[in-house]
Amino acid sequence: MSSDQKASTPARTPVYALCGNPNCGKSTLFNALTGLKQKVGNYPGVTVEKKIGETYSQHGQPIKIIDLPGAYSLAARSPDEAVLRDVLLGRRADTPQPDRVVCIADASNLERNLYLIHQILDLGRPVILVLNMMDLAAKSGIGIRVARLEKELGIPVIPCEAVNGKGLIELRLAMSRSDLPLPRHRWDIPAPIAPAVSELAASLAQNDRKPPLIARAEALLLLTDQDTVRVAGSAALTPQTASILQQWQKRWEAEGTDWAGTLVNSRYDAISVICNEVVQRQAVSVASVSDRIDAVVTHPVFGWLVLGAVMTALFLSIFTLAEYPMNWIDGHMAGLSDWVKSAMAPGDLRDLITDGAIGGVGGVIVFLPQILILYFFISLLENTGYMARAAFIMDRLMSRVGLNGKSFIPLLSSYACAIPGIMATRTIEDPKDRLVTILVAPLMSCSARLPVYLLMIAALVPGDRVPVASKVGIMLLMYALGTLGAFGFAWLFKRTLLKGEPPMMIMELPPYRLPRLRDVALQMVERAWLFLRRAGTVILGISIVLWFLSAYPKAPQGATPTQQLEQSFAGQAGKVLEPVIKPIGFDWHIGIGLITSFAAREVFVSTMGVVFNAETNDQDTTPLRQALLQARWPDGRALFSPLVCFTLMVYYVFAMQCMSTVAVVRRETNSYRWPAFQIAYMTGTAWVLSFIVYQGGRALGF
Amino acid sequence: MRLTELPNGASGRVCELSGKAEVCQRLREMGFCESAVIERVSGERTLLCQLCGTRIALSDRAAEHIVVELIRGGL
Repeated sequence: MSSDQKASTPARTPVYALCGNPNCGKSTLFNALTGLKQKVGNYPGVTVEKKIGETYSQHGQPIKIIDLPGAYSLAARSPDEAVLRDVLLGRRADTPQPDRVVCIADASNLERNLYLIHQILDLGRPVILVLNMMDLAAKSGIGIRVARLEKELGIPVIPCEAVNGKGLIELRLAMSRSDLPLPRHRWDIPAPIAPAVSELAASLAQNDRKPPLIARAEALLLLTDQDTVRVAGSAALTPQTASILQQWQKRWEAEGTDWAGTLVNSRYDAISVICNEVVQRQAVSVASVSDRIDAVVTHPVFGWLVLGAVMTALFLSIFTLAEYPMNWIDGHMAGLSDWVKSAMAPGDLRDLITDGAIGGVGGVIVFLPQILILYFFISLLENTGYMARAAFIMDRLMSRVGLNGKSFIPLLSSYACAIPGIMATRTIEDPKDRLVTILVAPLMSCSARLPVYLLMIAALVPGDRVPVASKVGIMLLMYALGTLGAFGFAWLFKRTLLKGEPPMMIMELPPYRLPRLRDVALQMVERAWLFLRRAGTVILGISIVLWFLSAYPKAPQGATPTQQLEQSFAGQAGKVLEPVIKPIGFDWHIGIGLITSFAAREVFVSTMGVVFNAETNDQDTTPLRQALLQARWPDGRALFSPLVCFTLMVYYVFAMQCMSTVAVVRRETNSYRWPAFQIAYMTGTAWVLSFIVYQGGRALGF
Repeated sequence: MRLTELPNGASGRVCELSGKAEVCQRLREMGFCESAVIERVSGERTLLCQLCGTRIALSDRAAEHIVVELIRGGL
C-alpha cells in the first residue's frame, strides 16, 4: 500500500499519531479525545509506554490514535524519543505507520514548538496542527494569526484549549476530513549539505524501500543524528546506506564543517520567518503568576523549605492515610483465605491456594494503597508543574554524586516501592545515568522493609519502658542509612564502573497550572495497574515456588508446622546457609526468613511466625516478639540479642531481597548481567556491613 | 562571556555555541540558537533561564557551551 492511497481515502480504520513537545498538553488532549477508550502497554523490547486510544469521526467511523512520547526533536536522545522517531518513520514492525499526524503546539511558545513540527512536516504525511493553550498565550499578550499560519504551512491549524474542552469539535471535524492536504515545503536545505541529502535519500528509497518523502526526511535526520539511538524492535539501515552516511561524515570531519549546526540553524531560520508573520506580541511588563511562584519555589532557601514541606506531606500521607485501606485489604485477604479453607478439603491444593497464591499475591496487593497515594502525589506534582522545579532544586545536590536532577523522581518513588521508581527512570536521557539510578534505587528503604524494621525494633527495645522517640530514631536511622548508601554507590559507580560524562541537565520548566483531577486520577490508575500486573504476575509465580520449597518434602504425619518447615527444602537451605550467615550473628531459622523474603521483604515477618510457631498478625506482633526473645542458640545464648536485631535491620537496608525488583530491572536494562550485578553488590555490601556491625558490636561488649 | 558568567537578572544574546557537538546540537534544538536572547533568572550551579517565553533549567556543564554577549542588566 503506498502512502498516497492512504492519504486520500482510508478504507481501514485510519491511524493518527499525536506528537508534540513535552508539556504542550498532549496527554490532556489525548484523554479528551479518547475518554476511557485507551489501551496502555509497552513497545516490545523497549520499556516505553505505548498508548493507543480510539475515538469516532463526525460520521461515527472509528479512528485510532497513538499517543507518542513527547520530544523536542526527531533526533533522538532517549528511548522515548527514539520510539517517536521510529513510529513516525515506519521503522517499527509492532506499530502501524500512522496515516496522519496531529501535532500539538503550546501557543504561548510557538517558535520553539515548531521545531519538532517542522521536522514532522518533512515527512510528507497529512498533518493537523493544534495550537493548544490559546488562553495562556492570550494572557501573556501573544496573538496568533491562525489563518496566516494555515496558509504558510498549507495544513489545517486549530486553536484549542484542551483543558477547557474548547476546540475539540473543530479538531474532530478536521480529523474526519477524507481529503487532508499535504503540508507545503517552504525551506531549502543549505547548499553545502544538499548533495549529501539527495544521495542518502536516493539510497534510502532504493535500498531501504522508503517512500520518497520519508526517505528525504530520514536522510535529513541521519545527518543531524550524531549518535543514532537504536532501540530494540526498530529496523536497522541497510549496509549500503550506512556506508554512504559514513563517507559523508568522514568527509565533513576532515573539512571541519559543522553540518549538524548548519541544518538546525537553517530550520530555525525558516521557522522564525513564519513566526514573524504569524505571532503578534504585546509587551506585557508584569511578571506572570508562574514567575512569581518560581521566585519562591526556586529560591535557594525557600525552595528547600517548600520541597521539604511537600516531601513531609507525601510521606505522612503514605504512612498514615494508607493504614486503613491496608488493614482492610489484609483483613479481606485473610477472610478469603479462611473461606477457601472452609470450602475445600484439607490437602496440598488447598494450602497452595491459601498459603501460596492468596498469601503471596496478598502481600503485594496490601501495598496498593501506598502506591496509589504515591502515584496520586506524583501525578499531582507533575500536572501542576512542580516536579520540574523539584528536579531543578535537587540538581545541585545530585550533581555532587554524579547524577542529574531527573534522577530525583525515581529515587523518591523508591521510598514507596522500587518498582515504580525503576520504571520512572525512563525519562533520563543519558543511558549511564539511567543505569546508575536503576542500580541504586532499591537502596532507598521501601515500604516492604517497614514491617521488618517494626518487628526488629519491637524485639530490640522492650516496648513499654522506652520512649517512642528512640524507636522513631532507630527507624529514621535506617532510612538515612539507605539513602546515604544510594548516594554513595551512585558516586562510586559514576567514578568507576559507569564512568561517563559529568551529569548535564537541560530541562524545560512548564508554566504552573491547576491540575485536572480527572487527568491525575487517570494517570494514577494507569500506573497502579501496570504495577499490579507486573509485580502481581511475577510474585504469584515466586510465591508458588516458595510455598513448594517450604511444603516439601513432607514431614511425617502429625508434625507441627515448625517441624515441617525445618525439614522442608527451605529449612534445609537455611541450614546450608548457616555457615555463611553465622559470622553476622544469624542462625538457620533466620536463614529461612532470608530465603522466603526474596518474594517480598515483609514475608520475613510471617516466616518468623511459622518458624517460631507463634500466632501472629501484622497489627499485633507481641506474641511473635516474645517468641523471638525466647529463641536460643544451641549453646543457650539468646538468638535475638539487641545487637542481632540491629544487624538484621542493617542487613535488610542493603540486601537485594526482592524478586519483583530483580524482574523489573531485567526488563528495564534488557540484560541479565545488571540484575545479577545488583544482587551481588547489594547483598555483598549488606553482608560486609552486617559483619562489621556484629563483630564490632561483640568486640565492644554488646 | 559564557552563560555561566552572565550575572543573575541580566540578559544576553547568544553569539555562538562551542564545545561538544552533541551538546550544542541539543541546545540548538531546545532553542538556544545564535542570536536568541536569554535572560538568566537565578541559580548558581544549575541555572534558570528564560528563553522565548519558556523557563529552562540548565546545569553549568551545559551552560558552559553557550557564549553570550551582555545586552542589558547586570553590573
